Amino acid sequence: MIREFIQRRKVDQTTDTTQQDHTIISGFKAGAQFDDRLDIESEISHLESMKIVLRGFKWLKYVKALFITRWAMRTVIIIPGLFLGWFAKIVIDHVILQVPLVADDVNFPPHMYWLLEILEGREPLNIALILLTIYVFGLVLIGTRAGGTGAGLYTGRDAASSAENAVSGGQGGAFTGSEAGGIWGITEWWISVRLSQRYINRLRTDLFKRLVRAPMTRIDDQAVGDSLYRTLYDTPMVFTNITETVFSPFFTFVGLGLTFYQLWWTYAEVSMAIVGLMALMIPITIFTTIAPSRWIRRMTQNQRAAGAATTNTLEETMNNISAVQSLGAMKTEKERFAKRSAHAFWRARISMFPWLGVGIILQIVGWPLAFYLAWHVTNLVIDGQLTVGDFGALFGMYMGLQGTFQGLGRLWLNIQDQAAAARRVFFFMDLVADDEEHKPGNELGTITEGVEIENVGFQYPNGFVALRDINLQLNIGEVVALIGPTGCGKTSLAYLLPAFLKPTTGRVLVDGFDVMDIDLASLRKQTSYIFQEHFLLSESIRSNLNLANPDATEADMLRALEAASCMEFIRELPDGIDTVLGRSGDTLSVGQQQRLSIARGLVRDARIIVLDEPTAALDPQTESVLVRSLRSEAGDRLVVVIAHRLSTIRQADKIVFLDEGEIKEVGSHDELMSHEDGPYREFVNLQSSTQAA
Amino acid sequence: MRSFLGALFEYIRASFSHYIAQPTTKFINRLVERLDTWARQETARALSDENEAPEVTAKRMGSVIIRSIPFMRPMFIHILAIFLFGMFLTFLFTFTGILSSDLWDNKMMVNDKLQPAQAFVLFVDKTYLREEFLDEQELQEVKALGFEGNKLTNDQRKTIRNRMLVWFFVGDIFGIILAFLLRYYPAWVWQNVNHYLRVAMVEKLEYLSLSFHHTNRSGDAIYRIYQDSSMVVNVLDEVVVGPLNDIRDLFIAFLFVFAFDPILGVVCLLSFIPMAVITAYATPIIRRLAVRNRVTNSNLTSRIQETFAALKVVKANNAESIVVDRFDVDAHKALDAALYVRFGMVALSFIVAIIGGLVVIGLEYLLLTWVLEERETNVPGWAVVFVGLMVWNLAAFNSANGRVGQVVGTGRGFVRLWCMLQDLFIGLERAFYFLDLEPKVFDPDDPLEFPEHIDSVAWDDVHFQYDDGTQVLNGVNLSAEAGKITAIVGVTGSGKSTLMSLLLRLYDPSSGSVTINDTDIREFRIDDIRSNHAIAMQKNVLFTGKVTDNVAFGLEDVEFDKVKQACEIACADEFITALNEGYDTNLGERGAKLSAGQRQRLTIARAVIRDTPILILDEPTASLDAKTEHRVLENLSEWGRDKIVFLITHRLSTIRNADNIAFLEDGKVAESGSHEELLELAQGRYRRFVEAEEVGLVDSQVR
Repeated sequence: MIREFIQRRKVDQTTDTTQQDHTIISGFKAGAQFDDRLDIESEISHLESMKIVLRGFKWLKYVKALFITRWAMRTVIIIPGLFLGWFAKIVIDHVILQVPLVADDVNFPPHMYWLLEILEGREPLNIALILLTIYVFGLVLIGTRAGGTGAGLYTGRDAASSAENAVSGGQGGAFTGSEAGGIWGITEWWISVRLSQRYINRLRTDLFKRLVRAPMTRIDDQAVGDSLYRTLYDTPMVFTNITETVFSPFFTFVGLGLTFYQLWWTYAEVSMAIVGLMALMIPITIFTTIAPSRWIRRMTQNQRAAGAATTNTLEETMNNISAVQSLGAMKTEKERFAKRSAHAFWRARISMFPWLGVGIILQIVGWPLAFYLAWHVTNLVIDGQLTVGDFGALFGMYMGLQGTFQGLGRLWLNIQDQAAAARRVFFFMDLVADDEEHKPGNELGTITEGVEIENVGFQYPNGFVALRDINLQLNIGEVVALIGPTGCGKTSLAYLLPAFLKPTTGRVLVDGFDVMDIDLASLRKQTSYIFQEHFLLSESIRSNLNLANPDATEADMLRALEAASCMEFIRELPDGIDTVLGRSGDTLSVGQQQRLSIARGLVRDARIIVLDEPTAALDPQTESVLVRSLRSEAGDRLVVVIAHRLSTIRQADKIVFLDEGEIKEVGSHDELMSHEDGPYREFVNLQSSTQAA
Repeated sequence: MRSFLGALFEYIRASFSHYIAQPTTKFINRLVERLDTWARQETARALSDENEAPEVTAKRMGSVIIRSIPFMRPMFIHILAIFLFGMFLTFLFTFTGILSSDLWDNKMMVNDKLQPAQAFVLFVDKTYLREEFLDEQELQEVKALGFEGNKLTNDQRKTIRNRMLVWFFVGDIFGIILAFLLRYYPAWVWQNVNHYLRVAMVEKLEYLSLSFHHTNRSGDAIYRIYQDSSMVVNVLDEVVVGPLNDIRDLFIAFLFVFAFDPILGVVCLLSFIPMAVITAYATPIIRRLAVRNRVTNSNLTSRIQETFAALKVVKANNAESIVVDRFDVDAHKALDAALYVRFGMVALSFIVAIIGGLVVIGLEYLLLTWVLEERETNVPGWAVVFVGLMVWNLAAFNSANGRVGQVVGTGRGFVRLWCMLQDLFIGLERAFYFLDLEPKVFDPDDPLEFPEHIDSVAWDDVHFQYDDGTQVLNGVNLSAEAGKITAIVGVTGSGKSTLMSLLLRLYDPSSGSVTINDTDIREFRIDDIRSNHAIAMQKNVLFTGKVTDNVAFGLEDVEFDKVKQACEIACADEFITALNEGYDTNLGERGAKLSAGQRQRLTIARAVIRDTPILILDEPTASLDAKTEHRVLENLSEWGRDKIVFLITHRLSTIRNADNIAFLEDGKVAESGSHEELLELAQGRYRRFVEAEEVGLVDSQVR
């Protein structure tokens, strides 16, 4: 390790976070585009940002008790603050400066009277002893003079690494953790962490559910890294937003009321001046913060979108590392990541600018007020109307108040910052989920007849017409082969069966019911779709099968594995069916993964099974075993196979020949072969001429 | 009476011990024990497959710091500048703070005359000075003006006040500018440092062999690169500069405290002992909890990533609720771990705060007695030029009390810092873990020049097994020559793709060798090898981006004509031009908007455009219809005339184009030869294979 250092290990400095082709001004502008293909209108108005804030309140219903407890604890702990300032004054005036303490004669608010009566007429040291004893009790109970409770961990210099603290730190914003220490502080802190965790987890789960239920046509447009970023890093901001919106004004006004109360009883003559000054702070802060709020919103959005784009690159590379390596794209991929990562850092950094601007303006406008107050009160002290301790108490109150008022002014800006992140969450909450287009609750019974496709046409959102005027009857008990040249719409047609695609015209009837009128889950439960690409989870084989059918018994699994010819290689594996697969199942060969995903499709007791070119990676022997076993089980099932291989096609009861989104021919092999110039016959002949020995 | 009091005291002590102290200790012990066991178990489980021990020893901490240094070196000048600037500011603020406190409290408020230096900064004349600083003549002048004694007039007090306010305003403006610099400048510096580390990690990952990637989850890589690596920005600030600053502040504060009175200093020092003991006891527990926190959060990241990557299957299997349940389990583990590690810190902080608080309150009482006694402070005589704190008074009390608070507070701060450092080190260790991994496949020390013309490649008695012991290849002997097409045939899982991975050096054989022009490929640089191969993979992986970018994937500055040409050979041009935006069409996530056959043709084009001496087509035509397949293969054989071409396939139509066919079985080449030769073997395996394929054909041929 020392040697490594001495060798001055080279660090790749080809990129850093300085962006040569971006000026800071360009960071303020709208219209920056990142990876998003669905979420492309990211600019929102002030009104929309307010609506987003209000929306976050809905999730509070899951954490009501915690929220109220937390609010109450936080409110109660204001009370000690009413005393502590006066303690300091007593120590200065009546202990150090040894001014005799006479209860009626001094400026104290009513809640201090009981203590003054105890202290009245005592020796200075005696007074000190009593106050310090109170301090000791306060220390253990509420952490008097020991500070608040919070436990943030270190974060990096980007939005993603700060998210964890916002969830669990009890330090994510101004109103998390506890103002108190001691036993009270720990309790309040624990509650506040549990509160934020529960709220955010609930929101995350809801977003996760939404993303998982997105329609098939949307999945292709949504990058994995972006979904990850939104679920993990954007959601915490929604909660921060809530606490700020609720607590910040509440505690500002409580604080204002209490301060005013104390001032009124003690410094009536100056209190009006101070409160007047405070009132001035409100319009000033609001005026200063309106202009930058749009920038803040925009910059936060861009910062997060840039972070998500970096995640996309990383996730894509990691997930497809074998392609990257075998194509020798390591260097270009690294550079792509470096470029995006640098840009994301830059976005995070420049989003400081509007905040700094606001800070400077508030400081400058706040100064004349503080200046005036200091001047006015010291005049009173010099003239002997107020004591030295009074100045400390008054000015302390002023500084506190100024902080809260500026905080209130900044609240609007904080909300904008968080609303930009919240918008990213709610955008996906609002996407229509798959099942909502159907009629939830309208359960479909066991499919007994089959599927009828009536005059169906399908057009993708980008205008591409995939299917036109399809009429087809598919019955339970049949093995149907969909064939045709690549890109002819076979997959689109097969996607209609589990309602992955909803027809743009015409209807799909299952057992006579329009699929749009039935509960989607009850249909999907009875269909099993086996994709050509195979996605296995990096878990055990058993767990991969359980994904498809949580209730599958060992025997069910073995039967499915046997049918898909998996057992021959599973037997060789060290832990058999409990072997944990590597990333995306990569420890197996592609063909083996393919067979496993077929087994996964079979382990479900589905009425409709669709195999989308599942056999492309299978050798002919394996394939004929599979198709034969499917045939034998087809009795009460509908098996749809998309295939190119003639040996498979020939086993079908019904062959559907598609071209350019239209059905050209339907019938059995023998029927179709009898059409002299039929496209199927031409297809077979071509296949034979290239294949026959 | 005395004995009664003694008995009462004994009674109180005993009942306190019985009802409060003992149960509390017991409770705390049990709580600690339980937390600790839990963390140990969970960590052991979580780490069982990663060689990371949760112990952070001083040596390992040192190693983490040292290893972060290379990433900071490029920013060294800036880091130094920030450090020195910060130091300068601390001195400035401490000094001006004491000066203005004395001026404001003792002089302006309480009406004492000024020290010379104070008069100097406020630009006031000698009538404001204390008498002991005036010589005889000046004293006379002041008296003549009517400013006798050591008290200020009210007008003088107001003048001082006004001038101080002007100073405060100047200071404030200065502060605003500083605030800007102190936030933006370090942000730039540390983001760069983090960026360098991230890039280094990604680079390492890109080059790590596939056997590493097979056993590691993508989500873990994301977590390490995002969350764990971000800790590097804190190394210097929190591990080196922060404590140094704290020690410096502590030292200065101690100087002041000792200057006021040594007793104060000694008591402060003593209070550190129990704090240190308790911290030492709690540290290992917090460490384990911190590991647990990071591991569970990384697992959560993986869970989400994997679910979204496999969303289609989730939908096809109606498994939405199952994945949500699994997410929920992982999420709760992560949240609990996050809470417990912080609870460990908060609890420790609580105990330390009580110790510190008692010291502060106790010393405050002591100070108050001294003020009342008007005891002399220990402040040296020369300091009287700057401040008037020779005797315990209000300002001395405020200053000393403040310093004591600072000393004790810094002690507490250290404990808190220490806790957070445990987490920081664990994060960084996880980040550096990637950098430490030695790729199993690496460049030779003296790589040979890669041959200009590749005449032949060969596998010589090649064995290969995966790390988990699965034997894939079992003594493969095979050779291929330029200008020939070699087809590799065999049942699923017979090792066809692995054979090619060895040629690309994605793995190295367990024994035996792969040679190019009779030289072991381990003698060449990996980049040279891979840049001389083009591969169309069995998994048609496309990347988010335009069609052109996907075809020219991994290449730099490719002319459009070449892209188009490659697409024409792969019969992809026809459908690409039909797309809305042609070659500029953005493909969906991983090219999902295209049909399988279209994707396949794009991956073939991707192989073609690389125009390398060796071309590997792994199941190139599985998703193509017969017509397209025929055209693609014809184009390819025309285009690849002087190249070494490998075809891995099940399709007879494809196989028949090959000059040589190798039939793999049980990890060996069971048969090889041309199609005709192999068919002549009566009990040949290839023959059986062909027959199985033709079952479907024979009938149709009859018609």
